[in-house]
Amino acid sequence: MVIRCEHLVKIYQTADAFRALDDVSLEVKKGEFVSIMGPSGCGKSTLLNILGLLDEPTNGEYFLNGAPTAHMKDSKRSQARWKNIGFIFQSFNLMPHLSVLENIALPMRYSNLPHKEILPRARELAIRIGLGDKLTNTPLQLSGGQCQRVACARALANRPNLILADEPTGNLDSKASTDILTLLQELNREGITIVMVTHDPQIAQGTHRTIYMKDGKIL
Amino acid sequence: MKLPDLISTGWTEIRLHKMRSFLSVFAIAIGVATFFYTLSVLSQRYRDIGRAADIAGKGRIDVKVDYPLSLQQYHMLLNALPKGSSVSLETDAETDTISYKNKKLAGFILIGVLPTFQDSTFVYDIEGRFINWKDIENKHLVAVVTVYPREKDEERVHPLYFSSETADIILLSDFSKRVNLLNQQVMIGTLPFTVVGLLHAPPIEKDYRLPEDREYFLEVYLPYPVWYDISSLWRQDFSTRIRVVTGKDSNVRQAASILVSFLRSQFGAEFKPQLKFFQDTLRRYNREAWHGLKTMIFMGIVAMIAGGIGIMNVTMAIIFSRTKEIGIRRALGASRRDILFQFITEALLLGLCGAILGMAIGYISLLYMAEGTGQMTFSWWVVAASILIALTTSFFFALYPAYQAALLKPVNALKYE
Repeated sequence: MVIRCEHLVKIYQTADAFRALDDVSLEVKKGEFVSIMGPSGCGKSTLLNILGLLDEPTNGEYFLNGAPTAHMKDSKRSQARWKNIGFIFQSFNLMPHLSVLENIALPMRYSNLPHKEILPRARELAIRIGLGDKLTNTPLQLSGGQCQRVACARALANRPNLILADEPTGNLDSKASTDILTLLQELNREGITIVMVTHDPQIAQGTHRTIYMKDGKIL
Repeated sequence: MKLPDLISTGWTEIRLHKMRSFLSVFAIAIGVATFFYTLSVLSQRYRDIGRAADIAGKGRIDVKVDYPLSLQQYHMLLNALPKGSSVSLETDAETDTISYKNKKLAGFILIGVLPTFQDSTFVYDIEGRFINWKDIENKHLVAVVTVYPREKDEERVHPLYFSSETADIILLSDFSKRVNLLNQQVMIGTLPFTVVGLLHAPPIEKDYRLPEDREYFLEVYLPYPVWYDISSLWRQDFSTRIRVVTGKDSNVRQAASILVSFLRSQFGAEFKPQLKFFQDTLRRYNREAWHGLKTMIFMGIVAMIAGGIGIMNVTMAIIFSRTKEIGIRRALGASRRDILFQFITEALLLGLCGAILGMAIGYISLLYMAEGTGQMTFSWWVVAASILIALTTSFFFALYPAYQAALLKPVNALKYE
């Protein structure tokens, strides 16, 4: 089991104590491709942030690759992020002043990969996503689809076993969306577990399983 | 994140925000320039004082007495002093009675000395020889003349000018530069003296004696007993300087007490000699050097604080404008320590640039100030200290904003637009 959540609760301490996640339990097996759907504000992104160790639940337990995450120190959580998890965001979140190559290399800078191996591996990944001829370009010189491809390559940099994608096709046209889905399916076939938040039912159809959420609960 | 990556990332950010970086670097540079200049001058002063102390010898005491001191008294004093001490007697008189080939030479001081004169305050290059003990014992009619280096504009004066019959009296200082008096005979009073040595004085920028030890008149040295005999011809009053060099700072007080007892035994119990300790002179010079630089150090500190606040301000602004980036880096695996180190590295790079620019400004200032005196001050420890000051300031002023950046929650930072 890559992901196991037990009774996750996330409460934001606002004036009315907003309950973003309400007793969410979830299991995702190794090699699964799971999509999460639901209306805006239903808690999809909050769940994804907790699964990605970017946020902590108010209550409940989350096990990543069988290990409890509740009392992990910051350094361990950071290590778990670069070691086990690759992120793909809706707005790409690339560094605008860095080249394609440097953007892909960025997660490796925080890993224990030897310095001299970083750029060759980044180049390899760029070629794999079909951007081998744009290594020195910055994100501003790329299309949306190309940017998301770079983000995919960056997510693969440290060879994680889990990819968390937050509406990866949300900012793309249908052709680019299909390309990204195809790429994710390809990665999934290679054994990478993927959890993807999406609003697009057609994209969700391309995954193994779809989880529906509403008002912080899994339906 | 490894150090090369931290440096590379920091450098990229500095290049991306040129104006902001420049202002921080400039503020640091002003502080460093002030420190660099001040420390260089301070270093030079202490080095000069150290050299002066080396030249003067360890444990020096000077005392002036208005009596002549015979050679017998000299030996009595030397025997009473701690082992290893040397005593130099000097006595002087202004006179215009030197002549060379019927040409009157003026503007000098006749000084009677012992060979021990060389034990302290001796910076000359000798051409020929200095007065030796044989000259003292046999009262040889020999002289040693000081030659001062030519100044730049003097080169243009034709040497023939000095052989002109129109000049009745010529300054010996000018004359000795152009006419080699070595082994020549000069008349002092009615007695013929042979010049056995020329003392070439160093140029002023290489004369490391304390200003008060420098002789600004031309000196003609004679054997002490010869001077003692002939001085009565033109002068009744004596002023003898007794200079004791003990060889160790630790036995100065003991030597001083012996010296006072000796002088009282010779000149009466009421005699109150005014002893001058070289250690005290050095202390005074050190104090004066330090007092003179206090204001500049204060200005340097103020400038560094201003520079540090600049760094802090820039780091704060960077963090504010790069919150999203911090979130992305955290999501990709950066720990709090990575973020802390990243911003501190950036600040240290700004500090290093400030140090380099500041030292360049300081160095140019030193060159400008050294113009004319020929004295150039430069020490590697000052370079190291300047870099250290810049880096320390940058580090401490960047610490708080960098720590704040490290504390940002990844999820909150990612949402920031």
